[in-house]
Amino acid sequence: MASKAKTRAARIPLTYVVALVPVAAALNIVGGTIRSALQLPIFLDMIGTAVTAIVLGPWWGALVGAITNIVNSFLSGPISLPFAVVNVVGALVWGYGHRWGWGKTNVGFFLLNILVAFLCSVTAVPIYVFIFGGATGHFSDVMTAAFLAMGQNLIVSVFSSNILVSLADKIISGYVALAIIEALPANLTQNLMLPKAEGLNRIILPVVGVVIGVAVMLIAIAVAS
Amino acid sequence: MNKTVGAKEGLGAGVIGIGLMMLFLPGASQNIADLDFVASEPFSILLGAVYVLGVIIILAGLGVIFGNFDSEE
Repeated sequence: MASKAKTRAARIPLTYVVALVPVAAALNIVGGTIRSALQLPIFLDMIGTAVTAIVLGPWWGALVGAITNIVNSFLSGPISLPFAVVNVVGALVWGYGHRWGWGKTNVGFFLLNILVAFLCSVTAVPIYVFIFGGATGHFSDVMTAAFLAMGQNLIVSVFSSNILVSLADKIISGYVALAIIEALPANLTQNLMLPKAEGLNRIILPVVGVVIGVAVMLIAIAVAS
Repeated sequence: MNKTVGAKEGLGAGVIGIGLMMLFLPGASQNIADLDFVASEPFSILLGAVYVLGVIIILAGLGVIFGNFDSEE
């Protein structure tokens, strides 16, 4: 019973939820807007989803993901609405993965981000291929074209390009979320099963994670060029 | 005003989010089909999206069935 109590989400004051959900959705939208403006080869629209899914729970994260893509569909066109499903899947994997204790060690948290990237790609590829014909105007289309030129079929090409971009994106998002969670009030984060770090390591750990994500992103750029 | 929320309310909020997505899907399907580079028909876009959302709603239902809400304070 005690172990069950540990894995169950604690009750959270409603005021925190009312504050965190809109801010997380806004963070996602701002991240996506920065990505569009700078033409970055990642998505950056799931940082708030990760924070909410880990701190509040998977289904609160799903709500943030849905709100993000619905608002984005008004701001930047209808393309983003079908990808709300990807945001929801990311929230569920981050949320339940954390709740089941998969992210309480450094290695576990890194692998959880990779699992999120893989399952998001598995969800996104059918949307790319069957709705948009393999291209939506994102940087990953360049990589898809490169893989197609190598003789791969469309599904394999889209998956190959998307998994590279998604790996970089989810590793960066996961560790930026970790840094944000460290900065949240202690009574909101005291029951979380995240990698324990003291002193300077609390900064070093997210930075190392982001650096790994950026390295994956550079590999993606190298593949594209 | 010390109202707290837990997994049960989170699940409800997530299902509301999925419901909101479903409300916007018919209009978005038509808008997506109208894009120059999209060859799909609105019906097939809507069909695929509804299938995927159906799977997520089933997961939410499993969350309700297997969730441990009774012992929450």
